[in-house]
Amino acid sequence: MEKLLKKAINIKDHLNEQYIEVARDDFRDACRYLWNEKDAILRLMFAVDERSISGSFKVHAVFSIPGMDRFFIIVLSLQEPVRPAHGPELVEGDDLSFPSLTVDIPAAHWYEREIRDMFGLNPQDHPDPRRLVFHESFPARSYPLRKDWAITDSDAKEWGEGMAEKEPYRFMQVEGEGIYEIPVGPVHAGIIEPGHFRFSAVGETIFFLEPRLFYTHKGTEKLFESFGFEDGVNLAERVSGTSSFSHSAAYCMAVERMMGVHLTEKAEAARTLLLEMERLYNHIGDIGNLCAGTGLTVGYARGAVIKEKLMQLNQRVTGSRYLRGVNLIGGISKEIFPHSDHIRSTLDIVTKEYKGLMKLLLGTVSHIERLENTGVLSREIARKLGATGVSARASGIPDDIRHAHPHLFYDRLDFEANTMAAGDVLARMMVRTADLECSISIIRTILDGRYQGENAAGTRAIPPFAASLGYTEGPRGSIFYWVMADHAGGVFRVKLRSPSFCNWPVVPFAVHGNIVPDFPLCNKSFNLSYSGCDM
Amino acid sequence: MIKGILKNIIRRKQAIRFPEEFQVPPDQELEIVDLKKKIHAIFRRSLRIRQVDAGSCNACEWECTALTNPVYDIQRFGMDFVASPRHADLLLVTGPVSRQMELALKKTYLATPDPKLVIACGDCARDGGIYKGSYAVANGVARVIPVDGCIPGCPPTPTAILKGLLDLLRYTRKPLDT
Ligand code: SF4
Repeated sequence: MEKLLKKAINIKDHLNEQYIEVARDDFRDACRYLWNEKDAILRLMFAVDERSISGSFKVHAVFSIPGMDRFFIIVLSLQEPVRPAHGPELVEGDDLSFPSLTVDIPAAHWYEREIRDMFGLNPQDHPDPRRLVFHESFPARSYPLRKDWAITDSDAKEWGEGMAEKEPYRFMQVEGEGIYEIPVGPVHAGIIEPGHFRFSAVGETIFFLEPRLFYTHKGTEKLFESFGFEDGVNLAERVSGTSSFSHSAAYCMAVERMMGVHLTEKAEAARTLLLEMERLYNHIGDIGNLCAGTGLTVGYARGAVIKEKLMQLNQRVTGSRYLRGVNLIGGISKEIFPHSDHIRSTLDIVTKEYKGLMKLLLGTVSHIERLENTGVLSREIARKLGATGVSARASGIPDDIRHAHPHLFYDRLDFEANTMAAGDVLARMMVRTADLECSISIIRTILDGRYQGENAAGTRAIPPFAASLGYTEGPRGSIFYWVMADHAGGVFRVKLRSPSFCNWPVVPFAVHGNIVPDFPLCNKSFNLSYSGCDM
Repeated sequence: MIKGILKNIIRRKQAIRFPEEFQVPPDQELEIVDLKKKIHAIFRRSLRIRQVDAGSCNACEWECTALTNPVYDIQRFGMDFVASPRHADLLLVTGPVSRQMELALKKTYLATPDPKLVIACGDCARDGGIYKGSYAVANGVARVIPVDGCIPGCPPTPTAILKGLLDLLRYTRKPLDT
């Protein structure tokens, strides 16, 4: 660590975040050191267009080391080349590139391609230089997150029409005897989100899968910049429907840390409670949904009924089935604890029905057999590609933000980061069951307490150019927000990283060698959000 | 109880009461039964719905999925979600229509046989909702394909979606086809 800090040009501490700015030549070494020697996890990577402030683009790579409640943020400044006034536009070239980390740290793979699409900063020596976010008809050399970016109406129209090929995209191809391709999507058969999958199969066996996503890209990060910090909560709630509360809680946490606002005990308890309620309804729903993949209709229906009960509980407690409209900067907007009895009684019913459901599922050999040894994600791949949440824990990586970086009430609660070693669909289901049992006991513990304070602690002025991280463990895994204010306390940049962005890249590895009909099952076991990933 | 059910069948009334969880006030209950008759009349007892996600946040989809669970059980009204637009009478579109989904939505629309209805489901689908004005969305379904009706809400509850279907059908005259 000393060595790393010695190389730093600039070190800045803010709460548990340490910003370490390094020279271009040291960037790769610094990150490699954390990844290899410290076993650090790459939490997220993003760029900021700070040309109007410091004259440079900044690339940030956020790491955290297991067992340490601290974030190490390696920062690299990219100076814009000096050009004569009224000179030609910036051209994508050597000057606007940064050393790619992907070769050493495969988890950086998508982040770097995203940075290229959004900022036009080239990851030098990246093994896959294709576009990630934008499809072919998006104008070339157009980078939405640059502050001076705009799109003409005709370009936007052409983009929507989707016919023009402004920057080609080639699917990877597998060649060999008997190999054929199955393209699926973006519009699928079920009521699910859009994405395109291209299978290269041999007979029934999937040899290779290439997902093409970002069909639901809605320009969310740019949109945040046109909102105030307080209105941003509404948008954060709508990044990924079934993680509404986790997303808005992470966003609020980032803004609160930036302002220096501390929540009251009551607000903390309520947020923790609702985070667990969100996990609960998601996990029950997911366990039921797996049955749809194996044709066990009874299990599916029973799961759906339990989930519906929880959704209606949400509605009664917060006025929204998706727990929206509760979070606000500095606390929460509704009284949660007067509903304690109602929550308890619903939990009693749900616990009973859930036990019955599990008995049914675990006793149905045809169901369990389909789940076992299907969609195996090895620990090595999960680690290398930076999987998070249930997907990581089911492959033996005990990563849970609630433990790694305790926040809200989590350091006062007794619970486990549940792991399994097998990494198959069954393991992911069992991790979910263990997680949801934890959630139930956490909810009960919180309901038993008495909490002091107001619901909302109010807001404070934001120091110019302040920045901060916010994080929660959502139902799918860790959610991160990084926010930065401008000179007047307005929004300068919001980076959001949903767990699905980390977990999508591992899906092709998990389905390799499985049969095509098992793909829906594998996919359901990860239960990834397209909207959260595509932003 | 058997007597009651028999009586209902003879009177061609809704045999299954709405369970308590449904949270439908009694007057709406009647309207929904009314919807069933309407579907009988117009679509010969089967309204097939194809749900299309055009960039939604996924909460709208989950509410559509909830319609198929045993609590709401949309099938008993003669409606169901189908796997292909080619089997559909009605497109239920959610989301603000992200630019990268425009083409797919148009193709889905063209693949749906006439006569067809299109409902924009959710605030996003109506006019872009919270995403209105973003560079990457088309600000509502109506900007991309012709729309027959909207269901507001973010997300609309399953009951609201059902009611929205009713409202649309109330103004749709029989016969729909040519
Ligand atoms: S209307 Fe609301 S719930 Fe539906 S897709 Fe839009 S943001 Fe999501």
